[in-house]
Amino acid sequence: MATNAPIPGGSGEIPPITPSRPIIPETPSEISASSNSLQPPPSSSDTDRIYIPSYSRWFSWNEINECEVRSLPEFFDSRSSSKNPRVYLYLRNSIIQQYRDEHPQKISFTDVRRTLVGDVVSIRRVFDFLDSWGLINYSSSASAKPLKWDDKEAVASEPPSTVKESAKRICNGCKSVCSVACFASEKYELTLCARCYVRGNYRVGINSSEFKRVELSEESKTGWSEKETLLLLEAVMHYGDDWKKVASHVTGRTEKDCVSQFVKLPFGEQFAKDSDSEDALETFNQIKGSADPESEGRVKDGSSSPDNKRMKLTPLADASNPIMAQAAFLSALAGTKVAEAAARAAVTALSDIDHEAGKNAGGDPNGQEINGNNSERAVAEAKSLLEKEEKEVEGAIREIVEVEMMKIRDRIVHFEKLDLEMERSRKQLEEMKNLLFTDQLNIFFHTRRSRKAEDRAEC
Amino acid sequence: MKASGKGPVKFRMPTAENLVPIRLDIQFEGQRYKDAFTWNPSDPDNEIVVFARRTVKDLKLPPAFFSQISQSIQSQLADFRAYEGQDMYTGEKIIPIKLDLRVNHTLIKDQFLWDLNNFESDPEEFARTLCKDLGVEDPEVGPAVAFAIREQLYEIAVQSVSSARESRLSKKSRRGSDYGSASKASGLSMDLVKLFSFKSSVVRKRKDLDVYEPMVDLLTNEEVDALEAREERHAR
Repeated sequence: MATNAPIPGGSGEIPPITPSRPIIPETPSEISASSNSLQPPPSSSDTDRIYIPSYSRWFSWNEINECEVRSLPEFFDSRSSSKNPRVYLYLRNSIIQQYRDEHPQKISFTDVRRTLVGDVVSIRRVFDFLDSWGLINYSSSASAKPLKWDDKEAVASEPPSTVKESAKRICNGCKSVCSVACFASEKYELTLCARCYVRGNYRVGINSSEFKRVELSEESKTGWSEKETLLLLEAVMHYGDDWKKVASHVTGRTEKDCVSQFVKLPFGEQFAKDSDSEDALETFNQIKGSADPESEGRVKDGSSSPDNKRMKLTPLADASNPIMAQAAFLSALAGTKVAEAAARAAVTALSDIDHEAGKNAGGDPNGQEINGNNSERAVAEAKSLLEKEEKEVEGAIREIVEVEMMKIRDRIVHFEKLDLEMERSRKQLEEMKNLLFTDQLNIFFHTRRSRKAEDRAEC
Repeated sequence: MKASGKGPVKFRMPTAENLVPIRLDIQFEGQRYKDAFTWNPSDPDNEIVVFARRTVKDLKLPPAFFSQISQSIQSQLADFRAYEGQDMYTGEKIIPIKLDLRVNHTLIKDQFLWDLNNFESDPEEFARTLCKDLGVEDPEVGPAVAFAIREQLYEIAVQSVSSARESRLSKKSRRGSDYGSASKASGLSMDLVKLFSFKSSVVRKRKDLDVYEPMVDLLTNEEVDALEAREERHAR
């Protein structure tokens, strides 16, 4: 059956809708006849939000769209009396409702057809139609629920991978266990760890937008103590990118835990240790302040810096340069504000390290001092930059003023010329008036004289 | 309105949708797969393969089930199609349909009359309404009810074909009215005339009330286990 191929695009949102069946709803109820509103209810938690692709925006709970009529003509050509639009609505709405009840788990065709009254081939067609348009099974993770098996005598019935939604996910690309963040594509049933995703380590022909980000990292059971955080920061400063050494320095944490914790730290913390620096504190407060209203507006969980995890990767993600890819990955994990602040801090730190390398030949191992020098230097540089800018601005203003003055001068000259012209023409006019007057007088005298002469001639 | 003892019709399911009830019960390597659903025989045969593959994938069955499932569906469809060319006599047939099924935790017992002659009847619609009216919460009950009704209709239709064949073989040139009596002899149908004669009223007799009332029961887990164990024993 020919279906209109949906064009992959962005994604919209549908608020959850109360079911028509007497099933206990666990989602907050919001009845809406048309599902086109893009305003999610602010109180709903993350798992209750269901996404459909933007090309399926036509879907409406009580109406049948043209593309449905086209794709599934059997229900609309009145060839058979029990395949009518009402039955189609019943099938379609039941399938979608069932999916939403099961969300975030996927539903399979067999689940659906067992609960629907109708012939299985038609049900399958409706199911496939909804699946291809992303109205079901679009935003779910790839794990399936445990099966209801009829056999009690079976020896090895349950397949090992589906029992519970296990936390361990194996990346299809590099065959390693993903724990920080995952990218899953339901369409192709692939799971990639963040690294493989960013590196583009998947099949040709799959678009990077097909993947949905699945956040897996949980706050570890014990939580990070101050001591551990301090150790972590020290280790990072010493060893930089070598996470193995960092992990060994922070005893009791795996590499991945260290990375995730480090990324979660607001970067102002590094500078906040040295209370002289104001800039750093400001950026820290900035991050905190901007992150909080964002996170309140979106998600109910308590973590401040990494907010809503459902954002797509930045366009840099596809870059073949691995360093850029890693930077993109980290910035995606951390959130935009934190990434900005981190970049700024990194730049200043780098420039200061350059200065340091030039000056201190012996090297200054104490990390705190370097930090203090860095921040002081940063302040001084900032001041000088400010002055320079002021001067530039002044110069620019001066130039503008001069140009304006010249313009005015030109105009004045122009007006003066005009004035002269006016005077001249006025004078001309006066002369002409005089001439006219004398001419008129002459004529008058002449006429008088001639009339007098006529009178005399007549007598 | 069709007169009694009308001519033979080509075999088909006496419902609006000519759907075939398909039952699957496959045992393989210690795993048992039981299922029941309705199939539209006018769908092309490649749908069988698609369906079998989908089912095996969704239920994560071992791949050997795939061929078994498709074979089973094929053979049941072939049986159905074998009957299709033949005649069946329905006559004035009002038959009682009995429901006695257990789906997960829900037990349904019911009996009602069904007009076999009504080729516009819709077991699916009946099942949907039944479940809605009785407040059945388990969504799997509806399809099971529709399937049970269909199965019984199918059996009776098949019987009418074979009885028609028998009577044709035994008695050569008979009028249509005799076929009506032949079908009456099967004992399943009720005589409309008797039912609606001036002697008896249309209202059901009191002793029959309990029989014709639907009963829905919700079982506890232990009862379910007990019943399942009993069914297993019967199956062996």
